[in-house]
Amino acid sequence: MKLPTFLGLAAAAALCALAPAQDKPVVYRNARLWLGGKPPIENGVLVTAGGKILAVGGADTKAPDGATVVDCAGKTITPGLVDASFRAANNNDFNEQGDEITPHVRVLDTLDPDDRSFERARASGVTTVHVMPGTRNVIGGLGCVVKTWGADPKSMVLKEDASLRITMGSEPSQRNMAIRGGQVDSIYYRRPTTRMGVVWEARRAFYDAKEALQKSQGDPGAPPSAGIEVLTRVLKGQLTAVTTARSEQDLRTALRLAAEFGYKTILDDAQDAHVVLDELVATKSTVMLGAPSATVISGSAGGDGADPRSATVALLAQRGVPFVITTGSNLAALDLVREAMFAVRNGLSPTQALDAITVEPAKLLGIDQRTGSLAAGKDADFVVWSSDPLDPSAIAESVHVDGINVLALR
Amino acid sequence: MNMNLLPASLLTWAATCALVATAVAQDVVAVKGGKVLPVGAPAIDDGVVLIENGRIVKLGKASEVEIPWAAKVVDATGKTVMPTWVVAHSQAGQRGFNENMQNVPWLSVADAVDPSAIWFEDCLRNGVGTVHVLAGNQTLLGGLGMVVRPFGRTVEDMAVASNTGMKMSLFAAGGGRLQQIRKLRRALGDLRDYLADFDRRKAEFDKEKAAGAVGADKTWTEEIDRTKKAGVDLVQKKLKGWLYVPSFAEMDEAMRLTQDLDLQLVLGPNMDEAIAMLKRLAKPVVIDETIEYYETDEETQKETKHCPAKLLADAGIPFATSLAVGGPGSYPWWQIGTLMRNGVSRDKAIESLTTVPAKMLGLDAQVGSLAEGKLGNVQILTGDPLAATSWVETVILEGTIVYERKDDPRLQYLFQVEQDKAKKAAGPEQPAGNAPVPPKEGPKADAPKTEQPAGTGNPGEGK
Repeated sequence: MKLPTFLGLAAAAALCALAPAQDKPVVYRNARLWLGGKPPIENGVLVTAGGKILAVGGADTKAPDGATVVDCAGKTITPGLVDASFRAANNNDFNEQGDEITPHVRVLDTLDPDDRSFERARASGVTTVHVMPGTRNVIGGLGCVVKTWGADPKSMVLKEDASLRITMGSEPSQRNMAIRGGQVDSIYYRRPTTRMGVVWEARRAFYDAKEALQKSQGDPGAPPSAGIEVLTRVLKGQLTAVTTARSEQDLRTALRLAAEFGYKTILDDAQDAHVVLDELVATKSTVMLGAPSATVISGSAGGDGADPRSATVALLAQRGVPFVITTGSNLAALDLVREAMFAVRNGLSPTQALDAITVEPAKLLGIDQRTGSLAAGKDADFVVWSSDPLDPSAIAESVHVDGINVLALR
Repeated sequence: MNMNLLPASLLTWAATCALVATAVAQDVVAVKGGKVLPVGAPAIDDGVVLIENGRIVKLGKASEVEIPWAAKVVDATGKTVMPTWVVAHSQAGQRGFNENMQNVPWLSVADAVDPSAIWFEDCLRNGVGTVHVLAGNQTLLGGLGMVVRPFGRTVEDMAVASNTGMKMSLFAAGGGRLQQIRKLRRALGDLRDYLADFDRRKAEFDKEKAAGAVGADKTWTEEIDRTKKAGVDLVQKKLKGWLYVPSFAEMDEAMRLTQDLDLQLVLGPNMDEAIAMLKRLAKPVVIDETIEYYETDEETQKETKHCPAKLLADAGIPFATSLAVGGPGSYPWWQIGTLMRNGVSRDKAIESLTTVPAKMLGLDAQVGSLAEGKLGNVQILTGDPLAATSWVETVILEGTIVYERKDDPRLQYLFQVEQDKAKKAAGPEQPAGNAPVPPKEGPKADAPKTEQPAGTGNPGEGK
């Protein structure tokens, strides 16, 4: 009942029937293993069976009898990449334009498991993505965490309500027109029309939620509306707020709003993060950095008047601001692994860069028990790269979700 | 004379006089200690590239090359030394590269090249030393191109070769594809008609003169119309045409045109099916900056990735790679990496930005590889040219240092944020003459308030 699109398509997913059963143990030998959050193992061994990781270790790691052995000499194995802000490119109905404040709409209800963007993501080694509603609304709705492939659509879902997306800046007011008499003949005659209006819409929604929360403490009474219920979860710290904000001004506004209502927010895209480092440290905020490759010599790669700099990744690392690298909020983004590569070019260490697209986003999204690192008991989500994945010529030779090589399914 | 002053003064002189001076420069430059990748020849560890009068006079191991005492030594220890990249086809670096009128064979990019364009600066930053600039793709007969070095204050300073060929395009700008083909045929037909008429008239004149109908003192003075000269050269195969072919759909016409003209094909991305034709043509081609692209099957909605360059490489057709303006596609290492991800070998990928374009431009004796006798166009990188972590440290063009990363203000802007922040905290810069002055007349009470510099009294700012 909760997953109409996904369940509706379950029958159509005949693909899964063709998937080879991976119950038999498979041993990947002689590879360089990037575990995620730990130092890499040279000449390592990875053992998988039944869609799970059985063992990870050095060359002397024991393999079960009868296991299929795959020689990975010269290759690198990383955890399946996790994109904490992913744009499902072929699906445009991510903005519910019926209202500016739609905390209760769920992006999961519009996801198509056959979306081509999932296929592209898989081809580039991404096995788990966090998808959020679009940035056209002030409060866009609930994001979810899904794998980029599943034996059936339902099994792709790792987390139904993973986040609440809030957007600061000009996007929610863009194209909106003020009513100045005459005929109102477009849905764009509506609020907000300025940054002030955007913030007010968000503020009013949280006032309502706060009020509902106070009321419910005295007398349960009538339940609040669906939207308010979601916002109260954010206020109670049960749901993560993700605020998309690019320029310095919008970042400060996002932090101000969060402080005002006492919730914590992740900052998405945050192109001007380098300007508000002190504030990020003080508020212990996490940054979802969009596209480190998007810094240009001339003109600006920034959205909303932001001024992205190459130094940002290294500065965040230096100041101990937790961050992950993502692709979804910047249209110029390259494949996730290439964004990590550009982060290294810009001064981040390879370990930090790879962690920022594997274990760190998994932790941030609360799915690290399942995926994002190579360890016994976790899902067998991993990528075999032709060489060092941070090399511009590296390709994902095989990409495994729950042990199954999803590139071989095509 | 104080010897210490010599190199410094030479450098300042070089910086101000730009490359025009190198033609008469007598300086000797030795790039020493790096790993030399000459392209087309084996790598030399701890090598020396010795440049004299702008040309490479010696290339070899440090133990084998004697460095003259007066040489300016550039230490490249621990770094990689290789030729600067060569770009076979580019429309960047011009102020307006698509003329509104499509049929303008009499124009030349020399009148549009902007020496101060950031693209040329970017070229140096990326280790590009030779660029063939042509009119944009939205043209018919777009005028003449020129080869430049991306350094110099005037077009003359930058010129390496001029009148390098006529830009032609089958890109349907405005009209339909067939209309573009028809227009191009008509433009070439008109030129041929003009030439035939010119020749006929001249033959008639000669005939009449021979018959005595024209006075013996009269000679044929008419010249080819100056708006038609380049076009006439093109149809007479005296001038090369650089034909942009946007997609496979225009390949038939392109192949037809190659029979009548001396053409260099510049291919758009959608060229998978054209490989057999190109094999028949057996000539090197230029591919544009879109190296890989996705195509969706209309029936199945399945998406597949294509890379015609890989097919070209497999078919043994040499190709030159283009660079984008801005973004990852403007980095040679990224373009080469993209080729390699699609299965093109490292050597072929590197050649596509060095020796292949050099040959295409007829400059293979000058640029594209490091060899004795060639121009001293050298880039020094911090590491392997294809590693994402490598940066171009120094660029030397014809023996003159034209770029050094440590002096690159735009890179510093992107990388030195702290400095900036300190500046911001101190408030806006106030040059002596521009300080806000309260108005001399009128109500003084509220004026200074509005003129107060932003940032000084702003809470939360500049902590």
